[in-house]
Amino acid sequence: MPDSGIILTIALLFFCGFVSGYLMHRSDFCMAGAFRDLFLFRSGMMLKALLILVAAAAVLFELEYLAGWVTLPFPIFKAPTLFGLMGGVLFGFGMVLSGGCVVGVLYKSGSGSRPALTALLGLIVGSGLYAEVHQIITPWLRRTELTTHVTLSQLTGISSFWWVLTLALGVLFLARRWWRTDRMEERTFSAQGYIQPWKTALLLALLVALGAASSGVPFGVTTSYLKFAATVEKLLLPQHFSTLSLFNTQPLVYLLPLSQERLTGGAGPAWDAFAVLQYPLIAGIILGAVWSSAWLKEWSWRGHFPLSQVVTVFSGGIIMAFGSRIADGCNIWHIWGGVPIFAIQSLLFVFGLFPGAWLGSLVIKQVILGREGA
Amino acid sequence: MSLLKEHLQDIRGQVCPSSLLVALRCINENMEAIRLGTLVLKIITDNRTAVVTIPNAASNMGFDVQIEKEQEGYYVISITQNNED
Repeated sequence: MPDSGIILTIALLFFCGFVSGYLMHRSDFCMAGAFRDLFLFRSGMMLKALLILVAAAAVLFELEYLAGWVTLPFPIFKAPTLFGLMGGVLFGFGMVLSGGCVVGVLYKSGSGSRPALTALLGLIVGSGLYAEVHQIITPWLRRTELTTHVTLSQLTGISSFWWVLTLALGVLFLARRWWRTDRMEERTFSAQGYIQPWKTALLLALLVALGAASSGVPFGVTTSYLKFAATVEKLLLPQHFSTLSLFNTQPLVYLLPLSQERLTGGAGPAWDAFAVLQYPLIAGIILGAVWSSAWLKEWSWRGHFPLSQVVTVFSGGIIMAFGSRIADGCNIWHIWGGVPIFAIQSLLFVFGLFPGAWLGSLVIKQVILGREGA
Repeated sequence: MSLLKEHLQDIRGQVCPSSLLVALRCINENMEAIRLGTLVLKIITDNRTAVVTIPNAASNMGFDVQIEKEQEGYYVISITQNNED
């Protein structure tokens, strides 16, 4: 029988995931779209919402830190490497090809999107492929370490309070300007049950903060994709599985905040700390989106999904998996969790997302419209 | 109005951002006929963002836009001549 602290953590994370999935479906809160549409349509609406999310999460994390509810930087965040930047470029490219990031594919799959489910399969296959080269890549990763400090606060000696205050005031100033010039939301047209992205951004920041208070870390999902790949590989190729170091180590040692129980975790198939932290979120996000789309009667598998798109989306999933592995985390981990605490690896990752998404938007336009559309 | 034709474009089930890209291409290809009032462009989509972005783009080009949600759960965006022109 699992400890009551574990059960409570799982329940809270499932709740956070469920509400997040519901909200993301309502607003179509697509982070791949946020970066892609900046280049493809010169639209910054979703990036504005993302910035609001980051600033709100920064304030909430800092308050939780001051209240003694979390330790900052969060455990698992690592010192920055050049691979953080390269991972961002790869991830940005992959997520635009996939039409959704590692969480976007979850809420979209939940609402019946076949492209999203294809991308999810790509993510799992990509995670399995990464495990094959993990031992070759790992020494290179640490060789490109830029500093031993994890956050800007540690690097500069300036308290996180001042970083957060500057960010919050800056975003508040911008948001006021967007509001006054009517650039904060689209009011004229909307789908049924639409929630303005900036509202979803604020609520998501609250949910990430609740998740961090209950689990000690911000939202993350990609280690689970490794675990899914490991589970399948262990079943199909048990001998080969036993030779893969990534799947057979438990590098995470972690104290669960709600019970102070010591848990270990790794990328293998075991039901360990990563399973406690990520499975409830994943299940919650998918089911939240199922609930929202079913309520609106919009759940559907229909439509023509061309083969060229199937290949592109699947490849995008594989590329995203590699990007997140070499950057020590995905976009959710870095943007919703790392940037708000000014983690340098996360900032590098976000810088990398822009050129990656730009490149991805060129390719996806070709794939969708063909040569004449480019 | 007996010359009024309908052009249906079904973009359901495709990867993002197919809806907006294909819709914009369709509008551009049929720009004259829509402006002359001889064609109604109907975009069928299941993408919730497209229900915001396609009407906004068409409206900014000076067209009239109607959105209808069908019982099966998808949206039909009708783009027509702006009668106020």
